[in-house]
Amino acid sequence: MKNSTRYTRQIALPEIGVLGQQKLQNARVLVIGAGGLGCPVLQNLAAAGVGSIGIVDGDIVEETNLHRQLLYTLKDCGKSKAATAVTVIKELNPNVEVRVFPEFFNTQNAFEIVSNYQIIVDCTDTISVRYLINDVSLVKKVPVVYASIYKFEGQVSVFNYKNGPSYRCLFPQKEGLNAIPNCVTSGVLGILPNTLGALQATEVLKIILEIGSVLAGKLLLYDALQYQTQIIDFTKNPKEIENGLKSGFLILNKDSDKVVIALTEETFLEKCRQDHCVVIDIREVYEEPKFNEQNVVNVPLAELENYCGKLDKSQEIVLFCQSGQRSQLALDYLKKEGFTKLSHLEKGIESIKIHLETK
Amino acid sequence: MIINIKYFGLLVDITKKKEEQMVLDESNFSVAFLKSKMESAYQELQKTNYSIAVNQAMAGMDTNIKDQDIIAFLPPFAGG
Repeated sequence: MKNSTRYTRQIALPEIGVLGQQKLQNARVLVIGAGGLGCPVLQNLAAAGVGSIGIVDGDIVEETNLHRQLLYTLKDCGKSKAATAVTVIKELNPNVEVRVFPEFFNTQNAFEIVSNYQIIVDCTDTISVRYLINDVSLVKKVPVVYASIYKFEGQVSVFNYKNGPSYRCLFPQKEGLNAIPNCVTSGVLGILPNTLGALQATEVLKIILEIGSVLAGKLLLYDALQYQTQIIDFTKNPKEIENGLKSGFLILNKDSDKVVIALTEETFLEKCRQDHCVVIDIREVYEEPKFNEQNVVNVPLAELENYCGKLDKSQEIVLFCQSGQRSQLALDYLKKEGFTKLSHLEKGIESIKIHLETK
Repeated sequence: MIINIKYFGLLVDITKKKEEQMVLDESNFSVAFLKSKMESAYQELQKTNYSIAVNQAMAGMDTNIKDQDIIAFLPPFAGG
């Protein structure tokens, strides 16, 4: 790649240069939705040399997509959009590392998918998913580059950028209203998502390169029929940020509930060796057998409240007692206190007694 | 006083217009007042999520509207 002339025309720009190209190479961008907006976003990011791109889409290519989703051709109909997109993009630029998530973005997979990326590009077509993306981005503290379209009009903005305003600050979520139609129900000019997707990709590059002024706190409105553009300013609404964080953390914690809580002997011993875990023996000091691995502290149940008051709520905590009953109680208590990463040894230290003795 | 209202997206379909000028007797009123006035004129608006901007800045319900202000009724778009 070093000898390639691929990027010379953009490296020639003083605002980019070799250093900027390196920033693009190091960037990790997640594109959610590989449809009308996603296609031009993916093409432009890959062409510009964004080093690592994730594609999320559970949909398949249909003939009705072809008038606007220019990554796909007739022979792709019936195939996975995400899988097809990766093939085309790798042909366009083999230097880009692409990860495919051939699934729809939802509360079950959201945090896992987002975990490795620095910027999220919202190219979805459903309002509820747009709120989900916003809330996950708030919790993860990564910006969302947003665009959406309706017939001949489009909107572009950047949310949660450097602690800035959120999607919810612009459009607070309201219940019991009519659904907002998408391209399937209202129709769309094929060129429109290509225009808006190109604007989205531009914002992504500006964020990575740290150049120009990003559309944070600004909603760009585009009207293709009248050719009118304008920018509407909007500010942070603390109440809406809190709503977003609340709903984001609810989703995050639901995931962690599922993953942890009851540990088997093997996973328990594994966690005892991980430095980021605090392993708490909540038995009384006189109880046997002793278990003195390096991360273990002995905090009898009655002293737990005092001890955990000093810990960060996101600290991973592993609890154990003699049989698993008291540790379950302690876990429920800490959960109510707001701790998010909790687990306990399900059947107590008795269950690994044999293991300890033969050690 | 005279104000100009611009509609976007779905709201154009509801009001059947892209913009309209309104002449009002009041000399000073809030966004909440205008919203309820427009929602009785176009009842479908009551069931639609949208935000209101005054002179190209998103406004709260208690923001004041003055003569010659440009008001935008903006719904979120879903399409992508």
